[in-house]
Amino acid sequence: MSNDAPQMDISKLPFEQALKELETIVSKLEQGSVDLEQSIAFYERGEALKKHCEARLRDAEMKIEKIRLSADGQAEGTEAANIE
Amino acid sequence: MTTLLIHHDAFADHVTPTGHPERVDRILTVNRTLEDQEFSDLKREEAPLGSADQASLAHPDDFVTAIEHAVPEENIVQIDSDTYMSPGSLEAAYRAVGGICRAVDAVAANEADNAFCAMRPPGHHAEKTTAMGFCLFNSVAVAARHAQKTHGYERVAIIDFDVHHGNGTQDIFWDDGSVLFCSTHQMPLYPGSGALREEGALGTICNAPLNPGNDGEHFKQAMNDRILPAMQNFCPDLILISAGFDAHTRDPLANLNFEADDFQWATGKLMDLAGKFCDNRVVSTLEGGYDLEGLAVSCAAHVRTLMNG
Repeated sequence: MSNDAPQMDISKLPFEQALKELETIVSKLEQGSVDLEQSIAFYERGEALKKHCEARLRDAEMKIEKIRLSADGQAEGTEAANIE
Repeated sequence: MTTLLIHHDAFADHVTPTGHPERVDRILTVNRTLEDQEFSDLKREEAPLGSADQASLAHPDDFVTAIEHAVPEENIVQIDSDTYMSPGSLEAAYRAVGGICRAVDAVAANEADNAFCAMRPPGHHAEKTTAMGFCLFNSVAVAARHAQKTHGYERVAIIDFDVHHGNGTQDIFWDDGSVLFCSTHQMPLYPGSGALREEGALGTICNAPLNPGNDGEHFKQAMNDRILPAMQNFCPDLILISAGFDAHTRDPLANLNFEADDFQWATGKLMDLAGKFCDNRVVSTLEGGYDLEGLAVSCAAHVRTLMNG
């Protein structure tokens, strides 16, 4: 990771930025463009980014509200989604 | 079993920068480990100096010449993003080539049943025309070609259980149906190659990538389901082992969780195959392994098994 810009604290990364960095890391590992000594650090940051992205997705899912429809199909309110 | 140990002080003269994981202490640790009383029956020989002609069995002449010209008269030079040469590196690399060829000769002549080459720099990342991943010449590839050319072995199997994929060996034998290359390794990890779909031009490449966090049970499953059947079907005249011990759970450069017993198990299985197909002929050479304690116990388990079956 030494050739990259200073590493940002993953917990503060927005989802889109974390996903973009994760995609870059996966691409570099697959292309073999990472040094042997550094590849484990790349993998471990990728793993942390993946967990962070998964957590952000779970958070977003929990916020989704289910729209309740009345008998005539009109929206009459919302309720929290029952996820997990 | 009579086991030959190939060694030489020159392998400690290949010096890398301070903090580099492929360091002199690795070979000193292996040497100390194999000096223990339990290894007193090893037949010991110093690695002879190999030649450019031997290195050229696996690499083009101009690559060999370029490596010769890259060696510095003093200090350390960088020849790849993580590969270095010091004034002693060329001799070490040539003794690694010469040492493994001598091991093949000894096993072919029944001077020993099998052999372990305690050598560095490692070799399995060195491609036909590229030195990389701490590797200069691909010693195990040279040994395979030497065995075929000098001893007439038509079918040579190479098994590589280093945690990093042996991209160099795969590159050299990609379209050579006379050499079977099998590898277990962590994926994703350096060098990025080693997917299941990489089977070689003639179907003689057999990769069994492992997931980060996998342990010895996953390793045994990969060996039993994929590697050992491929080797059995190949009916080898000689088995070469790229013995990297960096899949050990203590290793800082990877995330697999092998124990020394797992290397012992694999060595035993490979010896069983060698007994069945090639009069016990096995030549093993050190590749990676960067935690000194993990390296010592794993290497001891490997050599102990070579000696005792």
